[in-house]
Amino acid sequence: MRLIKVIPTVFKQIMRSPIRSFLTLGGIAVAMFLFVMVESMRTGVREATQATANETTLVVYRKNRYCPFTSRLPQYYGDRIERIEGVASVVPMQIHVSNCGASLDVVTFRGVPKDDITSAMAKDGTISDGSIETWKQRGDGAIVGSSLAKRRGIKVGDRFKAAGITIFVAAIQETSKAQDRNVALVHLPFLQEAARKGGTGTIVTQFNVQINDSTKLQEIASSIDETFAHDEHPTSTFSETAFVGRAARDIVHLADVAGILAWGALAAVFALVANAVVLAMRDRVRDHAVLQTLGYTGWLIGWMVLLEGASIALIGGLVGGIAAFIAVRIGQFTMTMEGVNIEMASGPSAVIAGIVIAFALGLFAAVIPALRLARTDIATCFRAV
Amino acid sequence: MSLIECKQLTKHYIRGAEQITPLQQLDLSIDRGRFVALMGPSGSGKTTLLNLLAGIDRPSEGELIIDGNQIHTLSRGKLAQWRSMHIGYIFQLYNLIPVLTAYENVELPLLLHPISRKERHSRVASALEMVGISDRHEHYPRQLSGGQEQRVAIARAIVTKPTILLADEPTGDLDRETGTAIMELLKQFQTEQNQTIVMVTHDPQTTDWADTLLHLEKGKLAEAVTS
Repeated sequence: MRLIKVIPTVFKQIMRSPIRSFLTLGGIAVAMFLFVMVESMRTGVREATQATANETTLVVYRKNRYCPFTSRLPQYYGDRIERIEGVASVVPMQIHVSNCGASLDVVTFRGVPKDDITSAMAKDGTISDGSIETWKQRGDGAIVGSSLAKRRGIKVGDRFKAAGITIFVAAIQETSKAQDRNVALVHLPFLQEAARKGGTGTIVTQFNVQINDSTKLQEIASSIDETFAHDEHPTSTFSETAFVGRAARDIVHLADVAGILAWGALAAVFALVANAVVLAMRDRVRDHAVLQTLGYTGWLIGWMVLLEGASIALIGGLVGGIAAFIAVRIGQFTMTMEGVNIEMASGPSAVIAGIVIAFALGLFAAVIPALRLARTDIATCFRAV
Repeated sequence: MSLIECKQLTKHYIRGAEQITPLQQLDLSIDRGRFVALMGPSGSGKTTLLNLLAGIDRPSEGELIIDGNQIHTLSRGKLAQWRSMHIGYIFQLYNLIPVLTAYENVELPLLLHPISRKERHSRVASALEMVGISDRHEHYPRQLSGGQEQRVAIARAIVTKPTILLADEPTGDLDRETGTAIMELLKQFQTEQNQTIVMVTHDPQTTDWADTLLHLEKGKLAEAVTS
């Protein structure tokens, strides 16, 4: 009961030392903002590159090519791939990007044949605005992914220009797949013509291949590559996640390095809370002696210290975490490299993890000062005044 | 039976290689309802005795029995609990918690008592009323004068209705007029509520309010005068 009764006193101590509390909370909030942003980026990378057991999509690329501008495959390869055992469907794709390097705002066009549009869309893709019919009717029509639309502020009926190509927004696609949320699906001949890649109907960047049995993914990939091994344009075939991981290897590397930043942010939270608690303890030696004189036990005062450290960290973590969550949601940040999109995960998991970790670090940072205080003899406290 | 009994009470400190004995085999009895002034030169053991009576410090040897409780045998936790129930302590420098208002400072010791919020509020209001500082209950210590701070400190000490009120030079930091008012207030508690008060003082004039004067010299009782 005493533990609960002293809680308001702890909060009064936090709120009535506004400068110290504000500076500490501000520091923790900034560190947690950084942590959640980095974690969102790492989660996005993980989700985009981590293979799953039921993967059924293969990407066929030109061998030893890494950029959509240099991967050029004859479109007729599609017919030969379709004949390979286990292949369910093949969609030839022309990829055209506004920037081939790593960037946070790249527009990726995917040219697909009119009849393959349903296969080219994400499996769980739905049209939230506009219609596929409109797209089919317009040669310059585009089905724009929802993240790209939000990021660029475009809606159905708009005309939109990027990378020298002007398209008409025919529909918006909603999907759980970051790759599809960040592309504009356009007609293949239109893109081939607009991007001037060897003329209409001859050259594509890649083939997206759907297979029936996920256990045969590697086997079919090898069969495809063997089929074209001695052709003029040999291929490299990967599972979709492996393809993303390969194309965005620099981003993956960057995410790994950013992990150090995340650890640094956690260390900063720990140091800030520990510093705030230690300084508060030093300032309040007299107050603690007085409390002990009033009958507060060392353990009760230790509990108050623990609560103060954990509360500061929790409030700072909440502020920073929620700010980062909002920033990721509003910003719809997508890292694009060589036509591959990796979106920063905007789910609540990174925020929840950040807040829980901040709380735990706050507790951990305060536990040693709290224990020391709990064991300090009242006379020692008085002598320190 | 006396309220406070000290039998062969001794306290040693180790400072560096030296052993200091501020209190040596002190025998002392104080009856309930007395106002006792402890006097003596610096280092005579006044504050040490006060701290032992408050349960802030522990005797090295001897026995300390207060209201039938053998204080020297209590564990740290039990001693803190006993202190919260039986001791009111007034410091020379008031020692109010700076981030809490006068009301919240007085409420602090009651948070340890199993009483309702309503009862707590009533007792805090009553204590502030008794020391004549009700109109300043929302003020922070920095917004109060020295005399007002000491009144709040006294309210904090009496709010739990302690068995003994201990005061360590309660007027030491106040001007003569304010000091006199504080002493009158303490005397009022003694006479009206039969409150036992033990006060350490250097000021011979403040002993006028006490009915027993104990003079300590080198950790021993040199003189006891009862009026």
